[in-house]
Amino acid sequence: MSDNRIEGYARGLFEIARAEGTLDEVEDELFRFARSYESSDQLRSALTDELIPPAKRQAIIEDLLGSKATSTTTQLISMVVGSGRTRDLPAIVDNLVARASAAKDLEVAEVRSAVALTADQQHRLAAALTNATGKKVNLKVVVDPSVLGGIVATVGDTVIDGSVRTRIDQLKSRL
Amino acid sequence: MSFLEILIRGGDEGHHDVTQTPSSFLPEGYELLFGIPASLLVFGLLYKFAGPVIKKGMAARTAKIQAELDAGEAARASAEVESAKIREAKGDIESERRRILADATAQADAMLAEGRTRITAEIAETEAKAVADIASAQSRVGDELRAEIARLSSAAVDQVVTGSLDDATHQELIESFIQRVGAQKAGARK
Repeated sequence: MSDNRIEGYARGLFEIARAEGTLDEVEDELFRFARSYESSDQLRSALTDELIPPAKRQAIIEDLLGSKATSTTTQLISMVVGSGRTRDLPAIVDNLVARASAAKDLEVAEVRSAVALTADQQHRLAAALTNATGKKVNLKVVVDPSVLGGIVATVGDTVIDGSVRTRIDQLKSRL
Repeated sequence: MSFLEILIRGGDEGHHDVTQTPSSFLPEGYELLFGIPASLLVFGLLYKFAGPVIKKGMAARTAKIQAELDAGEAARASAEVESAKIREAKGDIESERRRILADATAQADAMLAEGRTRITAEIAETEAKAVADIASAQSRVGDELRAEIARLSSAAVDQVVTGSLDDATHQELIESFIQRVGAQKAGARK
């Protein structure tokens, strides 16, 4: 899909979420769903299978999210899946998150951790990243077991890697 | 009785038998009287008419024999010439045989020398290739061994590290990261 179309979808989702007054919540839920979509082969293949009717795929979304997400988030994802743009969902969501962050004069900070962070840890980490980058950050935490331990934080083009995975890879390369 | 007595007494015998010749050797006298001239006449005629023919025949025979002798001599001379040629040719053949043998020996020596040189070169090349192959195999085995050690080491590291990552360690790593990032100042990191 062209960048213009992705931006168009992202702008549409953004405007709907803002109109609903649930932008922060929807943005966060979309971000987490997009990361789950990227990391789960089963989910990806189910939602992109052309042999499954769009209505069936939308039903899968309903079953998956159900009470775990706001109805706005569920409907927005169903809309993207129903329009046959499932493969572009991560790019659309990233664009939406960047747009939402820019609206709040924030920089998206994607944080990958092997375990979930507490609210306090997220707060202190956001402050630390703001201090380190000089930019106010919109923290997005992704639980990624492949990190093994520690954290990988990406703010714009800056990557701060404190993961066990990277240290092991460095050790392996020395071996 | 001598021969002369027989001649003399032949005509004097009184009781002459007409059925017997007066001489056992000589004819009657009158026979001699006619016989001798007749014989001479016959001989003369023979000499006159048959002599040239006989002489001519003898000359022709002589010429024929001489021609045959000349032809034999010519054949002998030709045979001698041919013999000389054959002997010469035989000498040439012998020298050609020796030359061919010498050429063949020289070619065989050259081929032998070339073969030895080529075999020596091939042996050297094969040895060099074998040495290179051995070195390559050693290197490859070394690389494979190192890769296997690295793989096993990596697996061991993974197992050890993931096995030791309990919740407390996770929290310690997260807090350490937050503190380390928080200690950095904007623009300080590259």
